[in-house]
Amino acid sequence: MKTSLITFISLVLFFANAPSYGASLYEGKTITIIVGYKPGGGYDRYARLIAKHLRKYIPGNPGVIVQNMPGASSVIAANHLFSVAKPDGLMIGTFNNATVVAQLIKVEGVRFDLTKFAWLGSAASDAVILSVRSDLPYKTADDLRKAKQFVIGTTGPGSSTHDFPALLKEFAAFDFKLVPGYSSSADVMLAVERKEVDGRAGSYDSIKPFIDRGLVRPIIRNRTTAPGIEKLPVDENLATSQTGKLIMAVNAVPTQIYRPFVAPPGTAKDAIKILRDAFANALKDKELLAEAEKGKMTIDYVSPEDALKVVAEVLGQPPDVVQVLAKYIKFGD
Amino acid sequence: MLDAFIDGLYVVFQWQTFLMMLLGIFLGFWVGLLPGLGGTTTLALMLPFIYQMTPVEAFAFLLGMHSVVATTGDITSILFGIPGEGTTAATVLDGHAMAKKGEAGRALGAALMSSLIGALIGAFALALAIPVVRPLVLSFGAPELFMLAIVGIAFISSLSGQGGRALLRGILAGLLGLLFALVGQDPQAGVLRFTFGQLYLWNGLDLIPVLVGLFAIPEIIDLAVRGTSIAGELPGENLGRGVWVGVKDTFVHFWLTVRCSLVGTFIGIMPGLGGGVAQWIAYGHAVQSARTSEERTGFGKGDIRGVLGPGAANNSKEGGSLIPTIAFGVPGSSSMAVLLGAFFLQGIMPGPDMLDKHLVLTFSMVWTMVVANIITVVISLFFLNYLAKLTLIRGTVLIPFILFLAFIGAYTSNNHLGDLLVLLAFGFLGYVMIRCGWPRSPLVLGFVLGRIAENNFYISTIRYGPSWALRPLVLVLIALTVIVLFFPFIRFKGRELTGGEVS
Repeated sequence: MKTSLITFISLVLFFANAPSYGASLYEGKTITIIVGYKPGGGYDRYARLIAKHLRKYIPGNPGVIVQNMPGASSVIAANHLFSVAKPDGLMIGTFNNATVVAQLIKVEGVRFDLTKFAWLGSAASDAVILSVRSDLPYKTADDLRKAKQFVIGTTGPGSSTHDFPALLKEFAAFDFKLVPGYSSSADVMLAVERKEVDGRAGSYDSIKPFIDRGLVRPIIRNRTTAPGIEKLPVDENLATSQTGKLIMAVNAVPTQIYRPFVAPPGTAKDAIKILRDAFANALKDKELLAEAEKGKMTIDYVSPEDALKVVAEVLGQPPDVVQVLAKYIKFGD
Repeated sequence: MLDAFIDGLYVVFQWQTFLMMLLGIFLGFWVGLLPGLGGTTTLALMLPFIYQMTPVEAFAFLLGMHSVVATTGDITSILFGIPGEGTTAATVLDGHAMAKKGEAGRALGAALMSSLIGALIGAFALALAIPVVRPLVLSFGAPELFMLAIVGIAFISSLSGQGGRALLRGILAGLLGLLFALVGQDPQAGVLRFTFGQLYLWNGLDLIPVLVGLFAIPEIIDLAVRGTSIAGELPGENLGRGVWVGVKDTFVHFWLTVRCSLVGTFIGIMPGLGGGVAQWIAYGHAVQSARTSEERTGFGKGDIRGVLGPGAANNSKEGGSLIPTIAFGVPGSSSMAVLLGAFFLQGIMPGPDMLDKHLVLTFSMVWTMVVANIITVVISLFFLNYLAKLTLIRGTVLIPFILFLAFIGAYTSNNHLGDLLVLLAFGFLGYVMIRCGWPRSPLVLGFVLGRIAENNFYISTIRYGPSWALRPLVLVLIALTVIVLFFPFIRFKGRELTGGEVS
């Protein structure tokens, strides 16, 4: 009787202590990466790429799988990670970088607080640019300022294809005519090709192939930069007012944490440390980088501290600023 | 060009490539059979596996898989009345009705053979279209796409029955479909419409739960109520022999099959129309081919032509949808968007280069679609007869299985409880519609085309002002809409009069 009690107590003690040993914490376990979109999109591709290489850097070599939880521009996934997912170190997730805007302007249905997540960082940043059709005579931002009713196709408010030129129009005196409603950014590109629209804004990564092909040329970028477009004028410097400058800066934040990765709030410290190190190391992995380059996915690690700083900066805006922001920046895909 | 055409075939038959294609076919076969798990998702899941492959192997693998999905999706649609894929829902209408009449074998044979012909024509069109694809695609702007959507809805509505009452019901069902398409965040102003505070509804209703609900649930209820097997109390001996009859049917109605294949190809080429549309337009065309009003009432009750039309179109559209992807780097459908990722992984830039530097690769894709479909159909023909016997299993045994498939199928679209609620809601709606004699196809088409119609209407008006309505191609399409709506009246009036005289 006594011996069995002692055995029992020591067993309990052993298991209670077990999580503090890195290897046994993840040995034989499976980590799930929740993605706020369906398979096939950018977020999904990043998650799958990281899933493939993450395990190498976690003691105990756990399995890593991807689970898609689409819906509501990934608010569903973010809510789930915030309040439903167990903070056992086996759950991480990635979702729409614009969720920071959703939280800021208090979009209905948002139940998460981005500052409370255990951040792993961001896997990439991505510049947003405005590009115009190459057969048009506009080569610089100054040329473009002279254009009248310059037609820009967009996928609708809340996307960089729309908000970026909308802010330029409002705060930098460009005479743009925005045509929202295209079903995807690829669709806008086709409209450029058939000369239905004169230009398109959006992620540099997605426009780059068409710049290389000579269909469009880049004119203006946001504060996030990328090799090849460093010299383009930045929208904030074209703004004619301080308010405009501020709103553009806020609008640029999601592009700095373009592929955010977080763990649920309350995840144990030792688990967070392991995950953070693994995330950082996986993004330096030679094989991962080679595969990313092949798939034309930019890898650009942002540390959890920096990611959180950027997020906190936006969310710390005074209410009167938020009110102005909400007028010009919407939340969407 | 001819050299590249032949070289393309040659590379498909190199053993590594061929092996990859077989692997793809094997996967695609199962993906097609299982409802919900669609070609797009599977393409996305398979992307990581192509890193080590050469471009030819990679596309043989991916396209081999993708091009058989629509073929085997028809099988599930016919046997159980559950759309195996979003693109094979139209096959349910007459295909499953045939299965209930004990003609499952015949319907399967016809579906497979027409799929093959459709795939061949689609691939052939892809090869032929290569020189003219740019001007063709570029001549369809937002105004033309809007009118195309309107023609499609008008077309289906006008065909859902005869007489003013039926036409009215068809149009109302189409409008109801448009209404369902409004659910979610609108793309013009970012306003949430009909979401009732539910996050699930933000991105709109998903096609798969809607389709599975509309089509599968009423069939399941029907099966439960009848208390028999799917094929009823009919003698089973004809069941297994029907496959060859079905194959022959395809050739009896050969030109219909060809025309429906061309319809599918054309819709595939138009970026933005999406894969779900082609089958319905082709189904409408098949109905329209009925010569008398008695013949027409047979549709939906198991007319072989209602199987041939969508069967052909949902395969031929694959060839078509590759065209904008290859020529512009602009995907024509969501699966093609994933395939675009595969191009990048392989370091290939879709666009003009595909028709020049990578022409052999382009033709190898054409050939992959041809060869993969031939292999699938030939293999399937051997055991279709056994599959047809599934319709003799007692309903009480089969229902749990079918219900399980339907629920899983719906659930895979968002992994959300909402999927199941949508499934049940549309199941109820579908059942009521059948009981009250309302056609479901205009509703589906309205739903599928709603977003397209709305967005392109908006874009047209903002971009061109009201003058878009005067573009030549738009005028042609407006005229076509009017003809489509009033033609049935004129035509049947004439027919019935002459018919009356003879008798």
